[in-house]
Amino acid sequence: MTGKEEPKEVRKYLQQSHDRIFENNKKWAEEMQKKNPAFFKDLSAGQSPEYLWIGCSDSRIPAEAITGLDPGEMFIHRNIANLVCNVDLNVMAVVNYAVRHLKVKHIVVCGHYGCGGVKAAMTPKDMGLLNPWLRNIRDVYRLHQAELDKITDEAKKYDRLVELNVYEQCRNIIKTAAVQQCWAENEYPVVHGWVFGFADGLLKDLKFDHEGQLKEIQKIYDLTKDA
Amino acid sequence: MGTSYIATDPLDYILAGNRAYQQRTTKRDPNAFALLAQGQAPEILWIGCADSRIPETTVCHCKPGEIFVHRNIANTVHADDLNAASVVEYAVTHLRVNQVVVCGHTKCGGANAALGDADLGQTLNMWLHPVRELRRKHKFELEGLPDDDARAAKIAELNVQQSIEVLKQHPAVKRAANERGLTLHGLIYDIGAGELKILSESGSKKMNGLWTPP
Repeated sequence: MTGKEEPKEVRKYLQQSHDRIFENNKKWAEEMQKKNPAFFKDLSAGQSPEYLWIGCSDSRIPAEAITGLDPGEMFIHRNIANLVCNVDLNVMAVVNYAVRHLKVKHIVVCGHYGCGGVKAAMTPKDMGLLNPWLRNIRDVYRLHQAELDKITDEAKKYDRLVELNVYEQCRNIIKTAAVQQCWAENEYPVVHGWVFGFADGLLKDLKFDHEGQLKEIQKIYDLTKDA
Repeated sequence: MGTSYIATDPLDYILAGNRAYQQRTTKRDPNAFALLAQGQAPEILWIGCADSRIPETTVCHCKPGEIFVHRNIANTVHADDLNAASVVEYAVTHLRVNQVVVCGHTKCGGANAALGDADLGQTLNMWLHPVRELRRKHKFELEGLPDDDARAAKIAELNVQQSIEVLKQHPAVKRAANERGLTLHGLIYDIGAGELKILSESGSKKMNGLWTPP
């Protein structure tokens, strides 16, 4: 679409892009049925995913597709710039449900290079409704200002902020009572920080030290007592 | 499903999955990742459930880059939730998507929980409160249904409609609906069949499967 079409053309275009989803869905369901006739019946019995994925809303990173997982294997939350904000009931409900009810074994925070949200947060500009959400990324910058200010190459600085943002969100996850208490009892879930790169299509493990960080965090944020 | 990785470490399993995805994608189109790296221009914002059984891009047989995604517990859009509101703002104002989809599903744990009185802990009680309110408002209608599966399916539908009502009030959605004909769609995914269904809302303007907010 170029934005110069007649209203009737726009309608037709919208109808087509809308219908395509349904045609594709039908094709996919047929293929899955053919491969395994019990596939959908098994799925309707319930879910027991091993992983919780907290990723970016970015359309280019469908979590299941890039990790090769089937439906039923990964519980998913996606928001702008894969943030885990302390007072956000939305993400906290997801973490709570995944940890306490589904008993996931791994929690992955996955950022990506070239993230529009991170880029926007590096821009000195009023983003309206997005300001409070993106402020969390500016806070990450402030926490790591000494390191980031030293990087003179803008692209490298941006890449590093993407990584540091993932680290901080991993820390936010282990600040929660659900994760600390479940870990104390079962030694899971383990929190991981990853970054997806479009350059090669590969996931990079940032080697977030779950146990070490948990110990560090619990000096201040210990929520395991009187649980 | 879910059995092949028992012998291996679950993390190695998905990292190996990623390598396979990368090789497969590059083989099909050597420029695939270079193109993706240039940016995204999705047509659709999908607001769906965090449930592992509904990977949107997979069930819609779409390619990476086509659907912008927000997934939370029970695909609920609260008027005061800044997380979802930020996703909508970014998708509609900055990426200029033309369609917003709210997709609920059958066998939804969140919808089921909202039908019962179990204490889910304060966090989840609070998050699901609006869905439980729906149950109160539609008490008679729900009680008239034959079983819990039917009630859960009904509450999933009501929840989708309510989320759409909230979205209609989002300033970016309002503006885009007026200025360039952005449309909102309610869908239900049937987990037992693998199929998407369009929710037809009584009393709404419906044209060829498209529903335009007033």
